[in-house]
Amino acid sequence: MKHALAILLLTVATPALANKVYVTNEKGNDVTVIDGDTLEVLGSYPVGNRPRGITISPDGTELYVCASDDNLVRVFDPGTMQETHTLPSGPDPELFVLHPSGNPLYIANEDDNLVTVVDTKAHKVLAEIPVGVEPEGMGVSPDGKVVINTSETTNMAHFIDTDSFEITANVLVDSRPRFAQFSDDGSRLFVSSEIGGTVSVIDPASQQITRTIRFEIPGVLPEAIQPVGVRVTADGKKIFVALGPANRVAVVDGDTLEVTDYILVGQRVWQLAFTPDQKHLYTTNGNSNDVTVIDVATNTAVKSIPVGQQPWGVVVAPN
Amino acid sequence: MRHLLILVMLAAVPARAATPTPDWPCVQPRQSHLSLGQVWTGPPPPEGAAETPEIAALAERVVQRRMPIEEATAAIDAFAQGKDAETLALLMQAIFHRIDMQRTAILGGISRYGHRQVALAARVEARRARMAELEAADPPDFDAIDAEEEALDWDMRVFSDRQQSLTYVCETPVILEQRLFALGRALAAHLTQ
Repeated sequence: MKHALAILLLTVATPALANKVYVTNEKGNDVTVIDGDTLEVLGSYPVGNRPRGITISPDGTELYVCASDDNLVRVFDPGTMQETHTLPSGPDPELFVLHPSGNPLYIANEDDNLVTVVDTKAHKVLAEIPVGVEPEGMGVSPDGKVVINTSETTNMAHFIDTDSFEITANVLVDSRPRFAQFSDDGSRLFVSSEIGGTVSVIDPASQQITRTIRFEIPGVLPEAIQPVGVRVTADGKKIFVALGPANRVAVVDGDTLEVTDYILVGQRVWQLAFTPDQKHLYTTNGNSNDVTVIDVATNTAVKSIPVGQQPWGVVVAPN
Repeated sequence: MRHLLILVMLAAVPARAATPTPDWPCVQPRQSHLSLGQVWTGPPPPEGAAETPEIAALAERVVQRRMPIEEATAAIDAFAQGKDAETLALLMQAIFHRIDMQRTAILGGISRYGHRQVALAARVEARRARMAELEAADPPDFDAIDAEEEALDWDMRVFSDRQQSLTYVCETPVILEQRLFALGRALAAHLTQ
């Protein structure tokens, strides 16, 4: 009996290894936590006012949330969802990116035309970098040497040297750039343009646009196609692009850069996050108040999970 | 005037940056029309096929916001039994047209609402100027000042009440879009069977 119970307890305890999924709800002022194995909601936790950008430390011990209306970054224990401390962020932090080593954090301040660099260990500002008007998208190269910031009004991707905190190059992209994402090998940079309706493919070495990906969906008016979140599989074979109010996620072939699929997910699909094994991709759907789980191998939506009010950002805990 | 206009512009915390104008006083980006492909990946409705009375009646019922979405879904489920994909597409189209038309009417209403607010803001400013004139007069006409002050109070009150309602007014198109999406999802569930 004792053995049976012990085994039972151990078996029950194993799913603790499951990767948890964290979703910020911009209007609900909370984070919904989802069990990545069962796809069930574990709970929702208040995280401050107007949470948008969300990321997690590489070791999975610190969860960072941009509390946009609190003008700071709140840091949580991902296990208990208790706030441990806050980080200074500058006004109206929207989106940020963590250095691959876990420190520092680069934050876009939309109202101040700055990128704020924050030491996640010392909890202090290391630098404030003036960029274009309405900075928004943030990306970091896999080697951590370059941070990309996109400015919505200036329509540029700024290349920032992470040693000198200086802008080393500016690339003009299409209207209202939203998001910047490197391929895992660092050879390509993808920048989405919400109003332009495109994704620019940039060679980071020459800082030249090598290709512009366009989207056309039968039965959808072009103005509804507004690319935002971008994710690239580790092997570079597939690029997923969230198309906002088109309610679709485009799948782009990494070799030909042609769109192969438009997956219907939820309303106003915004940001994307892979599970560590890259079997699943989570999408936040701001107007249908849910997230969609996409099967990466088959390009199909396998489940939609209701979360809080106006889901915005998503991150999956690392292994 | 400038203050009131700023108030009009800043009515709600921007959810997604759109610059409010009298034509579109909302922070939500204005999307003139919806498209069927935003909610439907099934086959397109057959060319030239007309709505049957059954489809028209069901579409009329399920698009009504007073019908709880669970009931609407149940009605769609009941209809969809044994129907082919083309028939489902016809119902989808019927629902889509009705909701898009409702939504277009609401967009027009929001635009009128925005213009009325701007006009009211101008009137408040005119009353303030008149008050200043009356107060500066020698000797002051206290009855006229009282009357003007009361009128100004009322206009200010109406303005700020309407301004507070703006958040809800601007959410109405989104509520219709949510309903359309939910109905589309309910209908699409029968495509794979």
